[in-house]
Amino acid sequence: MRAPTLYLERQSGLHALHPTTKLALSGLFLTGAAVMPGLHWLLALFAFGLLPLAAWGQVARPLLRTSLALIWPFALSLLLIQGFFAPGEQVLFRLGPLALKQEGLLLGALFTARILVWLGTATLLMLITRPDHLMQAFTEQGLPHQISYIVLATIQIIPRFQAKAQTILDAQRSRGLETEGLLTVRLRALLPLIGPLILGSILDVDERAMALEARAFSRRGPKTYLTVLSDSLGQRLLRWLCLLLMVAMVLPRLAPW
Amino acid sequence: MIALHNVHYTYPGSELPTLHELTLSVPSGQFCALVGPNRAGKSTLCYVLSGFIPHFYRGKLAGDVQVAGVDVPRTSLAELAGVVGLVFQNPFNQISGARFSVREEVAFGLENLGVPREEILPRVDQALALVGLGALADRSPYALSGGEQQRLALASVMVMRPKVLVLDEPTAQLDPRGTRAVFEALRRISAQGKTTVFMVEHKLEWVATFADRVVVLEQGRLVADGDPRAILGSPAAWGRGVGRTRYTEAAQRGGERGLIHASGPLPVTLEQATRFFQ
Repeated sequence: MRAPTLYLERQSGLHALHPTTKLALSGLFLTGAAVMPGLHWLLALFAFGLLPLAAWGQVARPLLRTSLALIWPFALSLLLIQGFFAPGEQVLFRLGPLALKQEGLLLGALFTARILVWLGTATLLMLITRPDHLMQAFTEQGLPHQISYIVLATIQIIPRFQAKAQTILDAQRSRGLETEGLLTVRLRALLPLIGPLILGSILDVDERAMALEARAFSRRGPKTYLTVLSDSLGQRLLRWLCLLLMVAMVLPRLAPW
Repeated sequence: MIALHNVHYTYPGSELPTLHELTLSVPSGQFCALVGPNRAGKSTLCYVLSGFIPHFYRGKLAGDVQVAGVDVPRTSLAELAGVVGLVFQNPFNQISGARFSVREEVAFGLENLGVPREEILPRVDQALALVGLGALADRSPYALSGGEQQRLALASVMVMRPKVLVLDEPTAQLDPRGTRAVFEALRRISAQGKTTVFMVEHKLEWVATFADRVVVLEQGRLVADGDPRAILGSPAAWGRGVGRTRYTEAAQRGGERGLIHASGPLPVTLEQATRFFQ
């Protein structure tokens, strides 16, 4: 099975930060992208904010690759929809009754850039944070460990399903299921997959629950941790600073004056 | 170390009991193998020993179940984790999913038990060495082969130092190399003398080599109990879905053709067969 996370292991200062610091920085970028008014600002945030951070974390290329792969459907639909349907005067292009306007394109570009920063922030966070360390940070602060496990298990659903589906398809292929050829043939081949996949996954959950019990998961009492999440006064100040900045950015928009 | 007395068990919604009048006593340090035809109740017995019956599977359990001096039905699963460990068939489903490296996966049980951090590290290293996974400590559990994953499950259980280790066909889904690696690990565990091993297994050649004792379960009842050669080498066992090792089969055919004359149990292992045929 492919590793269930986007996380890339690197020996970087960014990776060594406490998970809550990484969350705070992400929050700052997300809020910043939400309040910034201009296309240039948003692109600058991505190019001079996220990318340098990613370079520090030695994950710049994966960030770019994933961001671009994720953004193009948004870009396409936003540019087309805003371009054709948003109000404006300067027509660039006509397609029958529809007119592609410059104001619309710019508006679409603005929305796209905002989403780019959001997606980029989320992607960067996942590239530099191990999910179990993030959950440990929360559990150390009092989050019930059952919830922490649910979050981790949810992240792994898709890779697990994919691995299981592959096994089931292989088994059925070896019994004569036709999986290549016309699109209709390939789609029909998926039908015998559904039952075993879902039932099998439910049975797997049973066994995994037993495995968790066998590791004393349901014991009530203080837990210890093998991994030490390093924190420092500097990071704590940085987190407060991020929080203050976020509030400062949001407050003017909430207050009516 | 294991003391079952007059144990009956019926699954919820089932009319007929799965286990009948089961009385079994396994002394400390013994390696006891449970064999028998399918649907005899072998997995059920494993669950009874490890507390999943009645805590997980409910149903009607009657009789006395004592493991390492602990009354199993009256003890919670969390407390039982440090007393009896269970390893089952599917290596992949025993990966907890809570940790993303082999070392941390093994440490997970100790973290839940609240063991101090200074103690966790050496115990994890010991457990990994015991099963031969020391070199893979930093790898993701998902990047292991089936045999390695099964040994990881074994290490995750052994790190909690249970007095009794119960295994339900741990090599059923493994290739020969993986099977050998698991049995080598079990040999090391048993040799330490600190753990009683109770194992359900179909691969009789391995059972014959490693087990001190073989018990046969048929339709929920114990029908035979003795040392491997007595049980697997005697014709009485064969018709009951237990099967024979290759060496026994060879000796049997030799006897049928009048090539050899044997009295008493036939050989079940390579060493015994070599001596037998000479």
